[in-house]
Amino acid sequence: MNRRSFLKYQAAGMLWTIGAPFMLPGRLFAREKTDVAVVKGEVQAAVRKSVEMLGGISKFVKKGDRVVIKPNMSFAVSPEQASNTHPLVAKTIAAMCKEAGAARVLVLDNPLAPAEQCLEASGIFAACESLEKDMVHMVSRPGSFKEVGIPNGRTLKTTDVMKEVLSADVLIAAPVAKSHSGAGVSLSMKGMMGLIRDRSTMHRRGLHETIVDLVSLLTPQLVIIDATRVLTTGGPGGPGKVIEPKTIIAATDMVAADAYAVSAFEWYGRTYAPSQIKHIRLAHERGLGRMDIENLNVRKISV
Amino acid sequence: MSFRRAAQLIFLIIFLALLARAGHIKEADLFLRMDPALVGITAIAARMWTWLFLPALIVVLSALLFGRVFCGYICPMGTTLDFSDKCIPRPTGKTERSPQRLSPRLNRYILVFLVGAGLAGVSLVSWASPLALITRFYGLVVYPVTELIADQSLVFLYPLASWLDIRSLMFAEIHPSRFTAQFFVLVLFILIFAAGWITPRFWCRYLCPAGGILAVAAGKPLLRRRVSDECNGCGICAQKCPMGAIDRLHPERTNHSACISCRTCEANCPQEAIEFSLLARPGSHMARETGVSTSRRYFLMAGAAGMGTAALSLTGLHAVSGKETEGWVQPARLIRPPGAIPEPMFRAACVRCGECMRACPTNTLQPIWFAAGFLGMFSPAITPDRKYCDPRCTICGEVCPTGAIRTLSAGERVWARTGTAVIYRQKCLAWEHQKSCMVCDEVCPYNAIEFEKIADLPYPVPHVKEDRCAGCGYCEHYCPVTNEAAIVVTPMNALRLQAGSYREAGQIRKFNLSLRPPTEGLQPKPYPGVSGGEIESPEGEAENGSEELAPGFDRGY
Repeated sequence: MNRRSFLKYQAAGMLWTIGAPFMLPGRLFAREKTDVAVVKGEVQAAVRKSVEMLGGISKFVKKGDRVVIKPNMSFAVSPEQASNTHPLVAKTIAAMCKEAGAARVLVLDNPLAPAEQCLEASGIFAACESLEKDMVHMVSRPGSFKEVGIPNGRTLKTTDVMKEVLSADVLIAAPVAKSHSGAGVSLSMKGMMGLIRDRSTMHRRGLHETIVDLVSLLTPQLVIIDATRVLTTGGPGGPGKVIEPKTIIAATDMVAADAYAVSAFEWYGRTYAPSQIKHIRLAHERGLGRMDIENLNVRKISV
Repeated sequence: MSFRRAAQLIFLIIFLALLARAGHIKEADLFLRMDPALVGITAIAARMWTWLFLPALIVVLSALLFGRVFCGYICPMGTTLDFSDKCIPRPTGKTERSPQRLSPRLNRYILVFLVGAGLAGVSLVSWASPLALITRFYGLVVYPVTELIADQSLVFLYPLASWLDIRSLMFAEIHPSRFTAQFFVLVLFILIFAAGWITPRFWCRYLCPAGGILAVAAGKPLLRRRVSDECNGCGICAQKCPMGAIDRLHPERTNHSACISCRTCEANCPQEAIEFSLLARPGSHMARETGVSTSRRYFLMAGAAGMGTAALSLTGLHAVSGKETEGWVQPARLIRPPGAIPEPMFRAACVRCGECMRACPTNTLQPIWFAAGFLGMFSPAITPDRKYCDPRCTICGEVCPTGAIRTLSAGERVWARTGTAVIYRQKCLAWEHQKSCMVCDEVCPYNAIEFEKIADLPYPVPHVKEDRCAGCGYCEHYCPVTNEAAIVVTPMNALRLQAGSYREAGQIRKFNLSLRPPTEGLQPKPYPGVSGGEIESPEGEAENGSEELAPGFDRGY
C-alpha cells in the first residue's frame, strides 16, 4: 500500500467515524445493553458469563423449546488444532439450554470428512455425551434435509436445510474463530453452511454473496464465538498458526459478533477491519446486522 | 426342517452377516477363501500361495472324507439355488428335463479351461467361481436394494421418530451404496436361476468349477451313499436326486462325484435301503459306484481352449502382463485401491468378488467395465465423483480374499499413494472465474493444496504440492465444478508394491505424506508477503503496511 491509498484509507475511516452517529441508529455512548460480550478466562465460566452479559440464557431459550447448536466439528482433528469448536464450549452451551428448560437440545453439523472420525477427534461427542446421551449428530443424508426458499436471497433463492433446524425454536451458532482460505474467516455466518446440504453451488455463485443470502434465512438468535484458540493461518483445516486468546465472544447480532472477531485477532500476521471480509460487509449493507462495532456497546471482562 | 436345510440356512446367514459387516468384522472374506476354484485358479494365475488359502484346502479335504458336503450344506450359492429351484414349478414326479446332450463332466472341463488360462497367467475365475459370483450378487445387487428400502423407510419414519424423540432413529444414516454394472450381475443370475428350469441345481451339476474340483476329490469318500439288499430298484431315489448322481436303471449305483450328500434319496426310499455311512451294511453286496472317467481328449482340448483364450485376451490393447511395457494403454483416470499390488499381478490375483466394493465405507470402489479391457472387467477402481477414498481406512485390504489389495497398518496406509491430483486451471473457479473458492484446500486431508496470490486475480488460487498428494480424491469429490471437477486424480505416482513398506518406498521417492495435523514437525509456511511478526495489540485499526492481503480478505472500505 502506498502513501496515497494509506491516507485515503485514513480519511475514509475518519469520515465514517464522524458520520456514523448521524447515519446509524447506534449510539456512541455506553448503554445498559451489551451488544457484544467479550469474556476472557476459563472456558466454561467464560461461556456462562458472556451469555449472562447478554441477559442470560433464559432470554433466548424458553421452557419446552427445541434448540439446535451449530458448532464447527467437521474436521477430524483434535481441539488444539483449532479447526473445531472447543468441546467444553459446545457442552456448556448445551448445559445452559438444558438448565433453561429446553425440551430438546441437539448439536448438529454436516461434515465433509467421515462423520465418526470428526465426532471422535473433535471431542465434542464425548463432552456432550457426558451431559446427555444422543445429543450430537452428524447429518448428511439427503432425506434429512428439506428444500426451502430464501425470500431475501439474491443469488441463492432456495437451499436444502436440515429438517431438525427448520423445526427448531432456537438456533445457536457456536463457531470456532479461524481463518478460511475461501471466505477469509470462518465465524458464525460462514458456519451456517454446515446446516445445509449443497454447499458447492455457493462457491459457483460466489461464496461471500451466498453466505449473506444463507444467513438471511438461517439467522441464529444467539452467537457464541469460541476464541479460546484461534487458527490465524491455514484455516479452515489447518495446520496453521494457533494463538490462544482464551476468549469467548457472544452477541445476538451475528454480523457484530463476526466483525468483532475479525478486528480482535491477527489474521496471517496482521490486523484487518471487519469491512475487509466481503460477507460481513455485504451483510451490514443489507441490514442483517452491524459491523460498525465502534458504535456498539462492546463489553470486555475477565473471569 | 431337515438337518441339511437348517445347516444351509445357518451358513447362508453367516455368509450374509459377514458380507453385511465386512470391514467391521474379522474374516469377512472367509467363505470366498473356502472356494477351491477361486483359490486354486488364483494361486496358479498369480503364481502365489498364502495361508489365506487354507480354508479351501480344508474344504477339499472334507470332500475326500465326506463327499461334497460343502456343496450340499455350506455353499451359499448352492443354498440360494436350492431356494430358487423351489420357486420353479415342476410337474410332479418329474424332477428333471434331462439335458441329455450335456456331459456331467462339463464342470471339470470348465475347471481345466480356467486352469489352462491360469497357466498362461490370466485369471478368468471371476466368471465362474461360485463364491465370487454369489458375493457379487448379494453385495452389488441385493444389499444396495435392501439399503435403499431401509433408507427410504427411515426417511418415512422420521416425523414419527422426531415426535417421539427417538434420536437413534432420527439420525440413523444408511447411505445406500450404488454400483455400476448391477444389471449385468442381475442378468447373469437370472440366467443361472433360469437354468434350474432344465434341471435343479443346473449350475452345480454342469458349470461350477469348484464343484469340479470337489467332484474329483469326492470320487470315493469315506462317508458315502450305500444301498442295502432291501433295494427293489424302484428308482424313486434317482428321480428325486437333485444332482442326478443315481443311475436310473441301477439305483443302487452312485456317482459320488455328483453326490452332494443331501440324503434326499435316503429320506424318500420306501424300502429304507439307503444310508450314508462309513461302512456298508453287513451282508449287503449292492453298494456299487459308477465313476465318471474324464475323457483325455476333451480334457486337453479344454485346457488348450483356456490357454488360447488367455493368449487372445493378452493381445487386447489394455492387457498387461509381466512388466509394464512400452505403450501400456491405461485408462487415464483408473485409480486402484490403496495397497493394490502392481497391475499385472493385481489383475491375476483379483477375483472380482466385489467384497472390497461392498465393504468400502465411502462406496468409492466401483467395478469397472471395459475401460481397462476384457481382463480388467469388474476389477475395483476408486471413483472420486462418488466419494473420496478415506486415508485412514484400511478396509478394502482387510476384506480382499486373495491379497490383490494388501492389508495395511494405519501408518503404512497413509503412504499407500493411489495417484496425484492435477488442476485444470481453465475450469477452476479461482483460476479462471476469479471466484473465492478454496474448497480443495479446505478438504485435503494431506494438506497438499497450497494457495498463492497471483497479481491479476482477486482471490488466492490453488496449487497441488505433488510430493504431499496421495491421490485420495477428496479434492475432486468436493470441487464445486460440476460433472468433471477442475481438480482430478490421475494414477501418476501411485505406489504399487508387491511387498515391502510403502513408507520406505515413498520416502525414497521423496514423497512427503502425512495427514493433518502434521505428524512429523511440518511447519506451516507463512503466507507469501507476510512478515509473520507477532502483533502486540490487535485492536487498532488495520495497518495497511503491505499490499498482500490474507486469503479471502479484500480492501474493504
